[in-house]
Amino acid sequence: MVLKIKSISKNFGGISALTDVSFSIEEGEIFGLIGPNGAGKTTMFNMITNLFPPSSGEITFAGEIITGIKPHLITEKGICRTFQNIRLFPQMSALENVMVGGHSRSKSGVFSSVIRTKAQRNEEARLRGSAIELLELVGLSDGIGTEAENLSYGQQRRLEIARALASKPKLLLLDEPAAGMNETETDDLFDLIKKVQARGITVLIIEHDMPLVMKLCDRILVLNFGKKLAEGTPKDIQNNKAVIEAYLGSEEDEQSA
Amino acid sequence: MMLVEIVNPYYLQVGSFILINIILGLSIYVTLSSGQLSLGNAGFMGIGAYTSALLTLNFDVPIIVGVIAGAVVAGLFGILVGIPSLRLQGVYLAIATLGFGEVIRVFFVNWESVTKGAVGISGIPHIGREIFMVLKDAGFDPAIIGLKNNQFVFLTVFFVLLLINILLVWFIFRQQNSRIGRAFAAIKMDEKAAESMGINITYYKVLAFVQGALISGFAGALFAHVMSYISPADFSYHRAVEILIFAVFGGSEVIVGAIFGATFLTLMPEMLRFISEYRYMIYGLILLLMMAFRPQGLIDVQVLHWFQKLRLPKRRAEHGSKNQKHL
Repeated sequence: MVLKIKSISKNFGGISALTDVSFSIEEGEIFGLIGPNGAGKTTMFNMITNLFPPSSGEITFAGEIITGIKPHLITEKGICRTFQNIRLFPQMSALENVMVGGHSRSKSGVFSSVIRTKAQRNEEARLRGSAIELLELVGLSDGIGTEAENLSYGQQRRLEIARALASKPKLLLLDEPAAGMNETETDDLFDLIKKVQARGITVLIIEHDMPLVMKLCDRILVLNFGKKLAEGTPKDIQNNKAVIEAYLGSEEDEQSA
Repeated sequence: MMLVEIVNPYYLQVGSFILINIILGLSIYVTLSSGQLSLGNAGFMGIGAYTSALLTLNFDVPIIVGVIAGAVVAGLFGILVGIPSLRLQGVYLAIATLGFGEVIRVFFVNWESVTKGAVGISGIPHIGREIFMVLKDAGFDPAIIGLKNNQFVFLTVFFVLLLINILLVWFIFRQQNSRIGRAFAAIKMDEKAAESMGINITYYKVLAFVQGALISGFAGALFAHVMSYISPADFSYHRAVEILIFAVFGGSEVIVGAIFGATFLTLMPEMLRFISEYRYMIYGLILLLMMAFRPQGLIDVQVLHWFQKLRLPKRRAEHGSKNQKHL
């Protein structure tokens, strides 16, 4: 088990964004997190990366409790994420963005950086090399020197994935990576995520593109109004009455409407 | 050609002020490069100046020890102010640090037994004269290279400051193009994203803040040993704003921006001396026009790219990689 979420709840003031949600992710699988808008999916990501602390509950990663640990230490332990509303470093080149992603896997300090010791130069070369390799992986070889803000939307989404991969995560969190992508781009994204999985990285993905989710995920968790609605294989989820109701509305609703 | 005719103490004095102001401009540039707007640099400058002045006057320590101690003490105050200020951003941080600077100034005014209050401290050992004395004891006479004593003193100050400036720019440039500089830039552009990418934002923000304090303290100590006289008025909020303007006018995104801003804004009032009282009106007008038409400062990344393009054909594009680093 890579990640174990144990009865996580989160309240913002009087509103409860998540209520007693539990699930766990096995190593090497692609796990989908779906649900209507406002169901608490991104909040769950923010809990896992501790951008906000949960109100109650416990998160275990690779056998270690990580609730309450600072976000940068969570990245160091091997969880990295992308953002729903792309949060790249806009005035940095694509290469530099990915090199920043490697921050937690490098350690040069002020003095070795200024004096440019051999260890520091080797480390820079290694960071640069693996950044170039990751940019190739996500299909951005042409845009290496381009500033992130000048990349197209789809390219920015892929750059975010490369940046997250640079931290050498064991668990990658993708927040709506296909949003705003056309069909070809979505197909490329499918291949990319499969390649990431082949590297031995576990993937937790939030996505609204149902065909993609059903094709991609090994297991899926459905959230609705901050509560767990269903969990299972794509087939189970597709045939689950509660899920269909949540997405399409129940028959009684329609009759009364 | 006789050196004695070219070396003009007045020009050297202005040159030395420019070099000290460049250090001050760089001090705020470093802190800004991590996205923090600190207006406490005048206060840190004062701490550096008073520390070094008092040490050299009262305990007879050599100037170099005094200057380093001044920078270190200012840096320690930087840690003291930097850590609680972490929660503050933008204008709130600016106001808090401005308040800190004023507290320091008032402290200098009131601690009369040590700082001599508003009157200030005079007779601080002068860098140029001290070096001159050492060389004279060793049997050196400026006349050998065709200079009068006072010309030699001013020239020494100028070159010492120039050397310090070169070292400092080298330091900042190298740091900027490294893992540290990337962390600063990432925090400046998006703090939450930087944190999520594994950057310890607490550490790097305090680091940038303390570096700014250290460099201002260093500039302050040099200032004390170049002027030989300091008073609390030298470190008032006017100075804080002046330092900010150096970086903002020249362009706060690039190192050359701070250097250009400090140079231009120190030179201008001197050049405009012939219109005496009107010169600060023109100074104000130029700042007003700048902020209206070029809020990002005179020099930014685009301007540097443009310069590089002009230069490239002549150099046969030897540095023409796509990832050029700019000062």
